Amino acid sequence: MHKHSPIQCIVPPHMLEGIATKGTEAQKKLAVNTLKTSEQMRGQRRALADFAAAAFRVAATGGKERIVYDAKNGSSLPGTPVRREGDAATADVAVNEAYDGSGVTYDLYNAVYQRNSIDGNGMRLDSTVHFQKGYDNAFWNGEQMVYGDGDENLPPEERLFNRFTIAIDVIGHELTHGVTQFEAKLVYSQQPGALNESMSDVFGSLVKQYQLKQTAAQADWIIGAGLLTKNVNGVGIRSMKAPGTAYNDPVLGKDPQPAHMKDYVNTVGDNGGVHINSGIPNHAFYIASMEIGGNAWEKAGKIWYVTLRDKLTSTSKFQDCAALTYQTAGELFGAGSLEQQAVKKGWTDVGLSVEGGGTTEPGGCLEAILRFLGLAPAR
Amino acid sequence: MEIERIKFERTGGFAGIRIAADFELDDLPEEQSRALAELLEDVKFRSLPERLTGKTPMPDQFTYTITVESGKGKHTVTLGDSSADEKMQELLQLLNRIARSRMKKQ
Repeated sequence: MHKHSPIQCIVPPHMLEGIATKGTEAQKKLAVNTLKTSEQMRGQRRALADFAAAAFRVAATGGKERIVYDAKNGSSLPGTPVRREGDAATADVAVNEAYDGSGVTYDLYNAVYQRNSIDGNGMRLDSTVHFQKGYDNAFWNGEQMVYGDGDENLPPEERLFNRFTIAIDVIGHELTHGVTQFEAKLVYSQQPGALNESMSDVFGSLVKQYQLKQTAAQADWIIGAGLLTKNVNGVGIRSMKAPGTAYNDPVLGKDPQPAHMKDYVNTVGDNGGVHINSGIPNHAFYIASMEIGGNAWEKAGKIWYVTLRDKLTSTSKFQDCAALTYQTAGELFGAGSLEQQAVKKGWTDVGLSVEGGGTTEPGGCLEAILRFLGLAPAR
Repeated sequence: MEIERIKFERTGGFAGIRIAADFELDDLPEEQSRALAELLEDVKFRSLPERLTGKTPMPDQFTYTITVESGKGKHTVTLGDSSADEKMQELLQLLNRIARSRMKKQ
């Protein structure tokens, strides 16, 4: 039998979210006291203590805190700190890009999704630039972001990649791997891994759109624009608008991303094609955003974010994501709403149905609230 | 160790672009083939386990698969970025560069 959390029966989660983030100290105290005296809170002292502590902790946390380190072309992480929160810009463009890009990413999550950093609890954002020599990559190592300089050690005519901080969506992409690690914990293999990748592309692209104040129609929906040198025939690494068209080059080959389930790529490389098949959910998000119109981070982004935070599990597949985003759209904007229909169209167009699938863990809204406040019990 | 043939593949990474090459050591310029043979000795390639990857793959890291064929048979090693020490990184960079220049010629 499903066990109800008492808070679920008293205050809707959006109200508690509001109280926790926007309320005055007095309002928070009132909210906590109201809950305390409630008949339904009996036997739930522990949960109440957690809630009270969390409500005040959010207020106490300073918020955005960044450190950028320099690996000086070595492999030790994090390296030497070169710019801390509030420091003036340095002469090193990669340092400044990592600093500014992680700042905009923090701002999007904080201002639009009321999430205080990667873990929802003010976690410091650490970035390391100049990792190794000729390292044409960026990654999230479970604790921080790491960026290479591209293939700067090759002769100019052989270079294919610029420094990886050059594109702000790469920064948003890496930070979102951190968010996913704290929320759905999607395993990095096969379909759950491709969903993990897609979430990073979705919010990476939204960070860029948010920075540029572009509507869905104005955005280029390219991941990693500017990352490829002029030696490469390509506009970027991936296209959410038209997966499979980002590059077509004699050295790099052709962008292998599918845009539809019928073209799903079965492969053992790349952890089962996590960077390849992510094209399918990426395109579904693009279509849903275009159907809704306006700024993609406001509605489509909210639907995807809440789904990532509250509904997806470590083994969720594309079908589950389709059903759960559809369900979330209904909860946030109403059954049959334009937003819900847009989500349906997105998934239908890539060959997935929004009905069926979508298993989620029972948790109730207490867990959701605690998770929102950065006090989520381990799942 | 009399190396005859080498197969190299790099998958994953942020860009997800596959880089691969399959070549005889004799195909390479002398200097390059000597450097490669030395690095394979330095990392004790023959004694490496088949899988050097961590338990859980880290988002956006590269996965490398190297197969070396010699008179004594062949040995394949798969590893991720985080399991590569300095010598191994040198080897990977050289293989990466060889693979890329060969892909261009094809």
